Amino acid sequence: MERKVIGVISGKGGVGKTSLTASLANIAKNDAEIKVLVLDCDVDAPNLAIILPAEDKSKIDSKDVYATLKASFLPDKCVNCKQCIEDHFCEFNALQWDEQNSVPIINYLACEGCGACKVLCPEHAFEINPVKSGEIISFQSEIGVPLVYGKTRLGSTTSGKLVSDSKEHAKKLKEFEESNLLIIDGPPGIGCPVIATISGLDYIITITEPTPSGLHDVIRAIEVVNQFNIPFGIIINKHDLESPFKEEFHDYIAKTGYNVLGRIPFDLSIPEAMSFAKAVIEYKPDSEASLAILEIYDNLKKVLWN
Amino acid sequence: MKNKKPITICVTGGKGGTGKTLCAVNIAVMLKNEGNNVLLIDGDVENPNTYLLLGGKLENKTEVPFFKPKFIEEKCTKCGLCAQNCAPHAILHIKNSYPIPMLNLCSGCQLCYKICPEDAILPDTKTIGWTYSTEINGLSLFLGELKPSEARSAAVVEALLSELDNIIENNPNKYDIIVLDTAPGAHCDVELLLDKADLIIPVTEPTRFGKLDLIRIIELIQLLEKDYKVIVNRSSLLGYRDQFLKELKESNIRILGDIPLDNDIVNSYCQGKPLMDMNNNFNKDGGGFVAFTKIYMNLKKWIDMKEIIQR
Repeated sequence: MERKVIGVISGKGGVGKTSLTASLANIAKNDAEIKVLVLDCDVDAPNLAIILPAEDKSKIDSKDVYATLKASFLPDKCVNCKQCIEDHFCEFNALQWDEQNSVPIINYLACEGCGACKVLCPEHAFEINPVKSGEIISFQSEIGVPLVYGKTRLGSTTSGKLVSDSKEHAKKLKEFEESNLLIIDGPPGIGCPVIATISGLDYIITITEPTPSGLHDVIRAIEVVNQFNIPFGIIINKHDLESPFKEEFHDYIAKTGYNVLGRIPFDLSIPEAMSFAKAVIEYKPDSEASLAILEIYDNLKKVLWN
Repeated sequence: MKNKKPITICVTGGKGGTGKTLCAVNIAVMLKNEGNNVLLIDGDVENPNTYLLLGGKLENKTEVPFFKPKFIEEKCTKCGLCAQNCAPHAILHIKNSYPIPMLNLCSGCQLCYKICPEDAILPDTKTIGWTYSTEINGLSLFLGELKPSEARSAAVVEALLSELDNIIENNPNKYDIIVLDTAPGAHCDVELLLDKADLIIPVTEPTRFGKLDLIRIIELIQLLEKDYKVIVNRSSLLGYRDQFLKELKESNIRILGDIPLDNDIVNSYCQGKPLMDMNNNFNKDGGGFVAFTKIYMNLKKWIDMKEIIQR
């Protein structure tokens, strides 16, 4: 079967992206037609490895990534002219003036590494250098599915770039060459890390829940997905959640005519499984939630390969 | 006679869906109940949800402009200097043709405009989001919204913060307390808001996932040298709780309070009626209500101490 790269996103956080990804990986693992690989692109808070830990800790491959560029100041070259401040070289306000020493100070967190200071300074008193932005970790998980994830270095301010790098890294692995399904667990939100996650995907799963925030955020996520013209399906988690908002939610989904891949009932097996750091499908394969996810998996296969 | 900077409390959490917005909204409401002038700022610009939980509407929409280069072809000599110096490669230059901007990649550094020797690039703007300011049941709300498909969320957060700076500068006594709600994660949007805070409240849950993400956000908080106290939400989830609490204690992580699973919380969330707003008549003996009352008492102690120190 032709290889497909798919992603799970949600807009709102905590609606079940990682739980679902882990269960789908588990099911795919036992499907003779499928060779699966998973990638966690929630580089600010990568959690998939908790459910899919390494089979052999000594075989964890970790690679430092130097994708972030940061300015550094060369005091020997500075002639204290203050032009960098007066002409506002830095649009990110990462340059401040140290009155005492009459030199600029670089605010490391604010610096975007754009290089404006380097180019504009007549004395060439700034340099741009790559710094460590995070790590990309890959290993064979306990269930036999290869897992790759990116993890930002705090304060590196380039989550989106690390997402792209993690995707690139995964696609170069021999496990990817051998696979026919790559499932990406995406970050929450709709900003730069999400855009980096979904660009170039074959299919997107958007997961939501019948609460005002769940709906509001998935609509925003779908707006982004539509900009990229990628086909998507919706999964409604906790679909039977008793709430005053229930009807409005289900009416909305029905009205839009979006492809609903499946509905997962509110089932305490899921939080229980999570508290034991297991995929629900592994923890309680007969639970209502697990049965619903099995159905979703079948629907997904149909959508991906007709 | 008041003449002081308002105290700023920032609710954050690392992991998504732990209850950040729930806590930020209810803390703001409880502070308002006590007669404080409270400003709630929703800095989760990718998915701003506070107004939904407050059951309010967004008003006073203001565009957030962002730099985009405007090329004046009559002046351009096709030298390619702009493209050579554009770090995110947002300008495409093919020999002997005019440069082509790729705005999705533009970081807004304006270097192209600043270095063009022919003055053929002018600073223009595009809208990347909006800010709103509104009042819902006596609570002032500032909210930022990123336009879907735009990536520069931090610029929307910065727009919110610069409006805040304006207010504080022109009218320092307008608000007693500012409550900030952040996005999940530990990226630049979150950092910008954490950096403004006197106290940071990370909201977590007693699972391995909650713990891992809590540790990451605390590392960031320590990098910024800020004071913090944790709220443990869904504290009645038992599977991992005891070990979780033990590890927090061993790491000297102080807890502001915990919140059990509670139906009133789910209902208030879905109805857009904050649990702690007295007009909403939720059961005052309910698990959620009691938990928030305790959290408020602990928070009040911290605020009183802070005020004594500031005086």
